[in-house]
Amino acid sequence: MKKTHIALLVLVVVAISVISATFLDFSTYETFGSASKVPGKAFHVIGFFDKGKGISYDPKVDPNQFTFYATDKSGVQRKVVFVNGAPPRDIDKSEQLVMKGYVKGDAFYCNGIQMKCPSKYKKDMTIGESS
Amino acid sequence: MATEFTGEHLLPGQLGYFFVIISFVASLFSAFSYLRAAQTETVDPFGSKSWLRMGRGGFITHTVAIVSIFVALYYVIANHLFEYHYAWSHSSLDLPGKYLLSCFWEGQEGSFMLWMFWHSILGLVVMRTAKSLETRTMTIIAMVQVILGTMLLGIHFGPDIKVGSTPFLLLRHAMQGAPIFSMPNYMSFVKDGNGLNVSLQNYWMVIHPPVLFLGFALSLIPFAYCIAALWKGDYITFLKPTIAWTLVCGAILGTGIMMGGRWAYESLNFGGYWAWDPVENASLVPWLTLIAGLHTLLIYRSTGRALTITFIFLTLSQLLVWYSTFLTRTGILGKTSVHAFTGDGQALYYHLLIVLGILLAITVWMLALRWRKLPRIGSEEATLSREFWMFIGSAVIFISAVMIIFSTSQPVWAPLAKMITGKEPAPPIDVMKHYNDTQVWIAIVIGILAGATMYMKYKKTEAALLWRRIAVVAVISGAMTFTIGYLQHIDAWQYALMLFSACFSIVASIAYGISVQKTRIKNLGPVIGHLGFAMSLLGILLSSFNKHVISFNTTGIDFGFEKGSEEANMKESRENEILFLGTKVAMGDYFATYTGDSSTQGKDKRVYYKVKFERLDSVSHKATETFMLYPDAFINPKGNESGLSANPDTKHYLTHDVYTFINSATDKSKSDTSTYKSHIMHNPGDTIYLDNGFMTFDGFSKEVNDKRYEPVAGDIAVTAKLTVHDMTGGIQHLSPIYIVRNKEYATRIEDTIKSMDLYTRLENIIVKSQDSAFAEIMVRQTNPKDDYIVLKALVFPYINVLWGGVIVMVLGFFVSLGKLLGSKTKTRVSADLFPEDETDMPANVALGERPPVK
Repeated sequence: MKKTHIALLVLVVVAISVISATFLDFSTYETFGSASKVPGKAFHVIGFFDKGKGISYDPKVDPNQFTFYATDKSGVQRKVVFVNGAPPRDIDKSEQLVMKGYVKGDAFYCNGIQMKCPSKYKKDMTIGESS
Repeated sequence: MATEFTGEHLLPGQLGYFFVIISFVASLFSAFSYLRAAQTETVDPFGSKSWLRMGRGGFITHTVAIVSIFVALYYVIANHLFEYHYAWSHSSLDLPGKYLLSCFWEGQEGSFMLWMFWHSILGLVVMRTAKSLETRTMTIIAMVQVILGTMLLGIHFGPDIKVGSTPFLLLRHAMQGAPIFSMPNYMSFVKDGNGLNVSLQNYWMVIHPPVLFLGFALSLIPFAYCIAALWKGDYITFLKPTIAWTLVCGAILGTGIMMGGRWAYESLNFGGYWAWDPVENASLVPWLTLIAGLHTLLIYRSTGRALTITFIFLTLSQLLVWYSTFLTRTGILGKTSVHAFTGDGQALYYHLLIVLGILLAITVWMLALRWRKLPRIGSEEATLSREFWMFIGSAVIFISAVMIIFSTSQPVWAPLAKMITGKEPAPPIDVMKHYNDTQVWIAIVIGILAGATMYMKYKKTEAALLWRRIAVVAVISGAMTFTIGYLQHIDAWQYALMLFSACFSIVASIAYGISVQKTRIKNLGPVIGHLGFAMSLLGILLSSFNKHVISFNTTGIDFGFEKGSEEANMKESRENEILFLGTKVAMGDYFATYTGDSSTQGKDKRVYYKVKFERLDSVSHKATETFMLYPDAFINPKGNESGLSANPDTKHYLTHDVYTFINSATDKSKSDTSTYKSHIMHNPGDTIYLDNGFMTFDGFSKEVNDKRYEPVAGDIAVTAKLTVHDMTGGIQHLSPIYIVRNKEYATRIEDTIKSMDLYTRLENIIVKSQDSAFAEIMVRQTNPKDDYIVLKALVFPYINVLWGGVIVMVLGFFVSLGKLLGSKTKTRVSADLFPEDETDMPANVALGERPPVK
């Protein structure tokens, strides 16, 4: 066996073990219900913004925090406390939210939100119909 | 019966679509002709020549057609022909002219066009330079153009299958069924387009996509040469052009990627230049693979080894470009990326999978065809040889690429993982930490190898001399590491190692360039390239490790060191500070004051927020430095009722950047609750105190020079002279006017200073005697508690080392290219091709002559 082959083999073994080790980094998608079984541990939760209850954000009180209500895929609704800043643009228009955070008490504390927003088509379909 | 529509301009679209068809057919014709020319090259040279001529003609026609499509689409966008879906969805009337080009790449059709455009231009260059490999390389290039061409066709097969989408689609076809399009005069209702995404309205976004796509397009050329070499079984001719094209691609793609980082830094507000976002990773990985391929290519040139792996790396680089396109364009990343493009659904998904399948099949087929006959060298290389360690380095770079693409592809392998574990996998909670934790080791190894391998020779290196030199470099860089590490508080040991690795590489490159290569510029390409790479590593380390938020003191969170519980981690991320108008707030070394917003709205409805930064002397408490920053935001961008879209503003120092952006701001149109208050001014010199300054009354004047006032005979017009002093010491004048017309009724003209939200009116003149009168001044100022911004401010130390490093690295690629193209010698696979490798250097001037270090 050549030296290069041995070196390659070693590198591949190292790479595979590193990848397997970092595999633990990967989180899982949970519901509010399953996330509350392990309070304090962060998960990804997919949910939907409750348009009726809106957002409460008062930067005069705390510029880093706003709250809203979200319903997860199993239909459970929880108060969500976002602890990392101002409300992102269009959160109230989002079709779906992916929230990164943990359950503590009754609320879901999160510091990262991915939004899926309606496509341009739909937004402008409504404009077209009204005009 | 079809409705006759009025107000449409159909000609540009029809012409444009005509050119789409022409370009597609011409590329098909060209690919077929080139294929025939390649097949008949040996059996029928004469026939092959005529096929070749047809192939060339086809490709030139194809290029002309592509340029024409561009012109047609530009015409549609520039003339705001909103009957076209593309113009309507990506531009608007108020879009500044300089961003018209950005509209091209916001949409998917435009980016594919841009990609095709670069391919066709590069194809013309290959056509003129590839000589004996022209037929084969051009077959591949024309074939890829055929594939890309299908992306623009927009042809429907039945109700469900749609191949490609044309940029000349009409709005009424894109949104069939909307009631508005039943009206023949619908165009008179479509007044304006949807507008360009505001985060793309940045000058980096005008140049970053063309450069990045040029980089993607360039990776096709080494691919084409590799396939051509395998196809022909000629492993000599392809070498020089492939090295040249790989160098150009490395330079351009690298530039394009870092321009993207610079854009993100200046225009996106995630607070940095790199977030390990899938879209960024997807462009980095082909570059890494290409760089690995470049190094094995050099090994092959000098020793005849590593040819097989070179073919694998270079072809994989192009395949990864397509895979990246698949990841970023089909919406498969949807849940994981901040700026994943909206997918065009299933059609594109399968379209790209088919393309990827075709290219992969060709590569595997060609490799399998020649696998047994590929030249290999039976003997073993020496352990202390340049080729051995360069090979290890390439392998490590490749492993880095594999790790990154594995994590990025999480949504792709998620269904499989779900079947095995039963849980739906999600991306890591702390994405930055996930990548940094592994890539820091890659950086350490690559830094050391990039520095040390330069001192080795191909085939055999004299061990004693090598170790002496490396020892000297190690000692100098050790001292450098200690100094920087101490001053910059690099206290995490893996990052201290990375610091050493970067310093080692920098010292090694400089020492090698001076003492071994004698600073002869033509030989310095690799040295400069490695120096730039090492500087980039140092810049990344310094700017990221010590990046700190000054708007809410936190440090060192960027590398995601564990803070214990999730709760503690999240507390660390409270990084916004509220700034009320005129209130001074401490931020790091500075005091920041929000002093108002831009009074005039630009054409593009951007609002600039003025934030004054002062650095105070710790003893005298006097401001030693003052500067203004103007982070801006679009409040309620078009079609969005909530929130804002912000652009950062940055103060650049040589050693660090102060970076600010707005996270929230008052919407003045909604929140102003202030009312006018009356002030009686008895004498000139009387003062009114304002929320953010004061105002003095200087007396009356009958000289009225105001454009808003048109004198009428019999008018009596008087102004009150007011001087406004703001907190920053600035002085402005106000002259509200009081007019008595026909001795009957009074009118008043207000005067305002928008930047201070100050409104004044001369309400009454109360005459006391012949020559004295009081003035009643009405003053309205927005309540400062209603006027605030929520700001985030960060300090990036030594970020210029990163930008400088990237520029130096790119320079290195071009110096190498210059040398390669300048050399008259015919490139052969031989060990003698590297005369620069110390052979003409007297041994006694080498670095090792310095006293050995104990």
